[in-house]
Amino acid sequence: MKISMWVNGVHRDLEVPPLKRLLDVLREDLDLVGAKEGCGEGECGACAVILDGRLVNSCLLPAYRAHGRVVRTIEGLGTPERPDPVQAAFVAEGAVQCGYCIPGLVMASRALLDDEAGPSRPRIREALAGNLCRCTGYERVVRAVELAARAPQRACGDEPAAGPWSSPQASTGDDVTVHLPTTLREACELLARGGVTVVGGATDLGVLLHEGIVSPAALLDLSRVAEVHGVRREGGALVIGAATPYADLMRDPDVARDLPCLHEAVRTVGAPAIQSLGTLGGNLVNGSPGADAVPPLLALDARVRLVSAAGEREVSADAFFTGYRATVRRDDELVAAVVVPVPAAGTRQSFRKAGTRRAQAIAKVNLAACARIEDGTLREVRLAAGSVGPTVVLLRVAMAILEGGRVADLERLAGAAAAAARDEVTPIDDVRSTERYRREVTGNLVARFVTSLSS
Amino acid sequence: MPAPPDRRHVGAPLPRLDAWGKVTGATTFLSDEPRSDAWLGAAVRSPLPHARLVSVSKTAAFPPQAVLLTAADLPCANLVAMVREDLPLLAADEVRFATQPVALVAAPDRETLKAALAAVAVELEELPAVLDLDAALRGEGPVWGADNVVAEYRIDRGDPDAAFASAVTVVEGTYSTGYQEHMYLEPQGVVATPRPDGGVEILGSLQCPYYIHNALKRALGLDGDRVVVRQSPTGGAFGGKEDYPSILALQAAVLALRCGQPVSMIYERREDVACTTKRHPSRTRYRSAFDGEGRLLAVDIDLVLDAGAFTTLSPVVLSRGVLHVAGPYRVPHARIRGRTVATHTPPNGAFRGFGVPKAAFACERQMDRAARRLGLDPAELRRRNLVRDGDTFVFGQTLRPGMAAADLVLERVLDRSGYEQRRREARAFNAGGGPLRRGVGVTLTMHGGGFTGDGEDRIKGKVAVRLDPDGLVTLLVSSVEMGQGAATVLPQIAAEALGLPVGRIRFHQPDTSAVPDSGPTVASRTTMVVGRILVAACRQLADKARAFAGDKAADPLLAAGHAGLTATAVYESDPDIDWDQSTMHGDAYQGWSWAAAVAEVEVDVDTMEVRPVRLTHVVEIGCAVNPVLCVGQVEGGALQGLAWGHLEEMKLKDGRYWNDRMSTYIIPTSLDAPDFDVELAELPSPRGPFGAKGLGELPLNAGAPALAAAVEDALDIEVFEAPVTPEILLARWREVSR
Ligand SMILES: Cc1cc2nc3c(=O)[nH]c(=O)nc-3n(C[C@H](O)[C@H](O)[C@H](O)COP(=O)(O)OP(=O)(O)OC[C@H]3O[C@@H](n4cnc5c(N)ncnc54)[C@H](O)[C@@H]3O)c2cc1C
Ligand code: FES
Ligand code: FES
Repeated sequence: MKISMWVNGVHRDLEVPPLKRLLDVLREDLDLVGAKEGCGEGECGACAVILDGRLVNSCLLPAYRAHGRVVRTIEGLGTPERPDPVQAAFVAEGAVQCGYCIPGLVMASRALLDDEAGPSRPRIREALAGNLCRCTGYERVVRAVELAARAPQRACGDEPAAGPWSSPQASTGDDVTVHLPTTLREACELLARGGVTVVGGATDLGVLLHEGIVSPAALLDLSRVAEVHGVRREGGALVIGAATPYADLMRDPDVARDLPCLHEAVRTVGAPAIQSLGTLGGNLVNGSPGADAVPPLLALDARVRLVSAAGEREVSADAFFTGYRATVRRDDELVAAVVVPVPAAGTRQSFRKAGTRRAQAIAKVNLAACARIEDGTLREVRLAAGSVGPTVVLLRVAMAILEGGRVADLERLAGAAAAAARDEVTPIDDVRSTERYRREVTGNLVARFVTSLSS
Repeated sequence: MPAPPDRRHVGAPLPRLDAWGKVTGATTFLSDEPRSDAWLGAAVRSPLPHARLVSVSKTAAFPPQAVLLTAADLPCANLVAMVREDLPLLAADEVRFATQPVALVAAPDRETLKAALAAVAVELEELPAVLDLDAALRGEGPVWGADNVVAEYRIDRGDPDAAFASAVTVVEGTYSTGYQEHMYLEPQGVVATPRPDGGVEILGSLQCPYYIHNALKRALGLDGDRVVVRQSPTGGAFGGKEDYPSILALQAAVLALRCGQPVSMIYERREDVACTTKRHPSRTRYRSAFDGEGRLLAVDIDLVLDAGAFTTLSPVVLSRGVLHVAGPYRVPHARIRGRTVATHTPPNGAFRGFGVPKAAFACERQMDRAARRLGLDPAELRRRNLVRDGDTFVFGQTLRPGMAAADLVLERVLDRSGYEQRRREARAFNAGGGPLRRGVGVTLTMHGGGFTGDGEDRIKGKVAVRLDPDGLVTLLVSSVEMGQGAATVLPQIAAEALGLPVGRIRFHQPDTSAVPDSGPTVASRTTMVVGRILVAACRQLADKARAFAGDKAADPLLAAGHAGLTATAVYESDPDIDWDQSTMHGDAYQGWSWAAAVAEVEVDVDTMEVRPVRLTHVVEIGCAVNPVLCVGQVEGGALQGLAWGHLEEMKLKDGRYWNDRMSTYIIPTSLDAPDFDVELAELPSPRGPFGAKGLGELPLNAGAPALAAAVEDALDIEVFEAPVTPEILLARWREVSR
């Protein structure tokens, strides 16, 4: 495939296999070896670069996705003679040890400071959470970013790429056909032909493609379809485009105000480089029982809008899943949006994830919860938990116990609902946790939510 | 304390000399260099932990240009020389651990390699496997030798039985620690290139060039000149690139010699995690006897390490563990037994701390348990028992004046962290209810720098310095830079010794054809031991330069630049060191470094997630040659220890590592790390250059015990294991409380 992109301010034309990872394109075709491979699965951030102003892990990004885009790598940031303030601060603060993680950490720091002036310590830690460093303990790194933030910033001069898009031109040797439609209709028509795999942010697919676990003949990439991006208000609901990157959702004021449990859940997905690319559509269709953005959709009683050449239908988020990694979506359908009714004023929402660590973590258990108090009575109680069964589930027995319960009776209700929740989930032991822990914690989180309603 | 000496370079917080290359992406690691001519090598591995190897053969699909080597085809002795020579390069007729190599394959490119690997048929006949420590201790199998005991050491002092009989309080506990994966960010890799003289050259990410040199010489029967080992910039090692690269380099070397092509073997993460060595799991049964004042009378300790299926470095790890397991405390009577036993699991190896972290964990947990039993504050119990100058360790080493700093670091850390107040505040916070609990824990540890006993005397590290025509002095050592700062700290030491600016010193990339054997980059020995030899070499060079240039030359080293001067020095031990290796008695370490840490944690009782909030760490290291680098070592090492204490869990499934990728073996992110506050204390040691002692491993020792103590304080339940996972905590919380 012929692609062109701006790399460190230089326009580059290349002919590469469409699914070659951007990491390999940079390292092998462009001789830019600053980005490193530490894991090949999006976990470590050693391969991080800035794509259109946002941090991404180049090991997850298929080359075709970089077509028409603006890429900045460590080589394009500064030199010892004319360093970026981040580089100078890393040197001055002793934030460097073996150096293998450093290009990625420097790019992550740069992306943060481009986005935000004078970030707090917790914000710095959050922004670097997808860049694993085994040497430093992070303290010097955090201090370096604080120092860099106080220095005059130097814009790297990149403007994010904007349309109109040209399509990358296929080559005869390509082992996969890539469609990059710009309208929903075009996308549906392509999908109707069959044998096409949809791509959202490729944060799940990227790993599977690289490891050869899936090898589709054709891809349909949604990144240029405007209709499946962004957040709109439709009546009493927020309609969230299924291909909206998490990074945009996190910044959306309507989502933050009206759907705080979804906002909170999205903030816990991976780390910034994953949030730059990952989408709700992918989270839903990937069908992992541990998907973090899904429990809020069930708790908020959202509907999944499926669109195909044949028409459109909406399914409740709860009914969307039919089993382990199985959904009602037909092969010719796209998830175009999720339609989330804005809960009545006064509805309490919460999202809590018990993960393997504090970022870049898969949930051992997560819980999204909503409830409203009306005249001292619990109303519209919805609890949805993940990683406790083959799919994300509504905790129906616990919900029934709570619905209509009196606030005065909250302590007892909390205990009863927690016990019911522990009973109704069906978790397993796996590499990350145990059945027992998951059961127990589901109950604890339910109880915690219920007792918190009293305040 | 002596007045601060007048120094210019030693003690300066110089930015590391390789920093700019690293922050601009200019530093090229092994996989960064294009190597279009190199073939690719890989191992064919056993999926079973124990089996009879019936056959290894090519199927029809095996690409003709690819190469397959089995044990029978090896052009060399089938062994990887380490402490013993029991580890074969390839399994010959018996497989003793899952992932053990049974054959090697090389091919000109990735596709062919993949096809070749898929076209190797391995026939195995499964045998019963011994996978747990208890079975191994019962002698089942046996996996190794007659009884699975790969090594055993004992320390006996005084009359422990009588001491226990007279004790007011006896405290007993069993503590266990798990595997730890190094997870250096740069995976292992080597490239082997055949030499025209029939030898082979290795370029790799590694810690110990001469270990590999030796393993290749031994197996290939080559003389030393025909084996060359060069180090590429190394993206972290932590002990993981101490022993394993000998295996990988030998694999690549035999393939390269067989194909007549350079062969590159650079691991992807998954193979690295699945196949390379880990920290040994351990279990320690610990009994302590106290008098009525809370003073230690005696200990009775049984320490067991899981060696995995072969010896590798296990005896050395064990001996260091045994020497540290009674901790920085005065113990008049002792019975200590340490064993490392074999199981049908991948061999365990070196990991920063090398036996001490598990020993320190057991010792410090036991002290906390004792404090609870005795009704004493944990800090106070330590204060009453810590060693001071003039005290003698259980293995017979008496601390000479100026050697003990346990009290110094303990008092400093208590003061600096506001320990007592923080504990009171935590109590008050916890009384308020809610899901969060806070806890504060203290720990006291020590680390012996350099090799044990007469180890340095036996290896006799050698250092050379060369004066170049441009007036720069080149340091020739086999000690590598792997992130810890050797390539900055050694030049600082040389600059000080020579009276030159650091800019006049060059650090030669380790290369066995160019540098002498200053020993391996292990055991916190580089600054203290290699630095000391380096000072001797530098002084000689300065003398030679002065002799050449005359006393009046303003800058003799510049004036003598063209004279082709070099100087070498070899380790010389001090005459007053007394060590008996056969009884493990005497001056075990020449320089002891000391550390005390206070950890503050927050635990969510709903989920039992533990968040380390703050770690205050005071270390005494003789002389902080470069304070910024020292602080970095302390923070990074401590985080590895903290994470091993609660986050990093490696499970075995059917004898294989289950958490074999970065998404399942969990190392801390920036959000999992606490704020660090580090203080460097300096009691100069006569054994090290400018008073410096070892530092690299010391900070790891404190992490897990400090965390466990803080968790215990937060939840008021006892902690016996590292990692203490939320799963364990939740179960224990249920049992104990409600
Ligand atoms: C390092 C790392 C950390 C992660 N951490 C988390 C985490 O904390 N929590 C969490 O929940 N997930 C996590 N994930 C998983 C992943 O990022 C999320 O599931 C993400 O939401 C997937 O979205 P995507 O757009 O990238 O999906 P893609 O990879 O593009 O697609 C995933 C699947 O969905 C299909 N698909 C995508 N969009 C659509 C659509 N609109 N219509 C129909 N089908 C579609 C694809 O065909 C594919 O089968 C992590 C992944 C990585 C690599
Ligand atoms: S290589 Fe680790 S995230 Fe890309
Ligand atoms: S400096 Fe070594 S991994 Fe960060």
